[in-house]
Amino acid sequence: MSCAHRETTEAWLAGLLEADAATAAENHVATCIDCQGADAAGPLPGKATRYRAPDELRRRLQRALEAQAPRRRPRGFWLGAASGAFGTALAAALAFLLILPPSMATLSDAVADAHTRALTSGETITVASSDHHTVKPWFASHIALSPPVGDFAQQGFALAGGRIDRIAGEDAAVVVYHHGKHVIDLFVWRASTTRLPDPGMRRGYRMVFWKENDLAFAAVTDMENTEFAKFVALVRSERE
Amino acid sequence: MDERRRKFEAEALPHLDAAYNLARWLARSPTDAEDIVQDAMLRAFRAFDGFRGGEVKPWLLAIVRNCWRNAVSDRLRRGHTPLPDEMSSPLVTDDPDPEAVALLASDGRKLDAAIAALPLEFREVLILREMEEMSYREIAEIVGAPIGTVMSRLSRARGLLRDKWLVEEPA
Repeated sequence: MSCAHRETTEAWLAGLLEADAATAAENHVATCIDCQGADAAGPLPGKATRYRAPDELRRRLQRALEAQAPRRRPRGFWLGAASGAFGTALAAALAFLLILPPSMATLSDAVADAHTRALTSGETITVASSDHHTVKPWFASHIALSPPVGDFAQQGFALAGGRIDRIAGEDAAVVVYHHGKHVIDLFVWRASTTRLPDPGMRRGYRMVFWKENDLAFAAVTDMENTEFAKFVALVRSERE
Repeated sequence: MDERRRKFEAEALPHLDAAYNLARWLARSPTDAEDIVQDAMLRAFRAFDGFRGGEVKPWLLAIVRNCWRNAVSDRLRRGHTPLPDEMSSPLVTDDPDPEAVALLASDGRKLDAAIAALPLEFREVLILREMEEMSYREIAEIVGAPIGTVMSRLSRARGLLRDKWLVEEPA
């Protein structure tokens, strides 16, 4: 059954209503499920240009995709190997390997993955607040560990919020800071390994790992080193 | 070719034209659009494993839009000439610049110029709806606004185009 206002809605969608009539239609649509399915033709579609990707861009993209290093797939490799002649022995070894903590390289990759995934999806923050009195309790109710949540706005690192992510099979608290236009993700998770990767770059992102008691920390960003080092020092001193 | 890349090429690359078209209309510059799309496609490729189900096209277009926004803020931060973005500029320009006037030679060109002159928030929903045929829901997800807002912007975009068309078409 169609809403009695459907025609008005369609006229509004087509851009034909003005002033009060437009406002009335807008208010109606906000609450009418039926009208939210209404459609209307624009005044002049068809003749505007829909641009096509240039062939050169297509070629450039192909080359860029080729240059992307193939991803590590340790599990696929081991399963493949396990199907071989030494299957049984390897299956035993595999069972053993799977309970070992993730390797250094995997850990860097996992952090880089989580960071880029958040950036590309635009979902860097679940609880948005510059007030650590808001962010800290939020973590307390969402994850069984308490990450350091400092207020470094004075020093140029503004608290932006937090989210929960996964690192190496563990839930990780991510405290998000902004430094100008740069985003810094501070991952905190329960450390299952005594060793962490050295500081370095992964896919253009700078990262630093450290451990405090039973928690592992990873700070990731695209900002330059000096400022980043300042941030890491701040966070670490806060904790002590 | 590894499986991941094969899958990406089969599912995401067919939307390259859509990605480019959106970037081209957002940035209003062919070179900027190419850079934005390349950046977006590589990000999409890296994030492809994390992408589960759903439609690839709106997901990809959302990444294009993010990349464009990053490009704009990067330039602002570095103090370079900003992309011709008008996040804060006025609505439809009253006095088309000489270049825009020259574009009015043909109907299609005239319409292009009118769309290009629309404020960003109206322009993007119009392109997504009328050229890329995204649903209101998909557009709402791409631009991060409620469905009602998307519909309002669409209505405004069409109204503005209509006004402009009538003004410039002394029938």
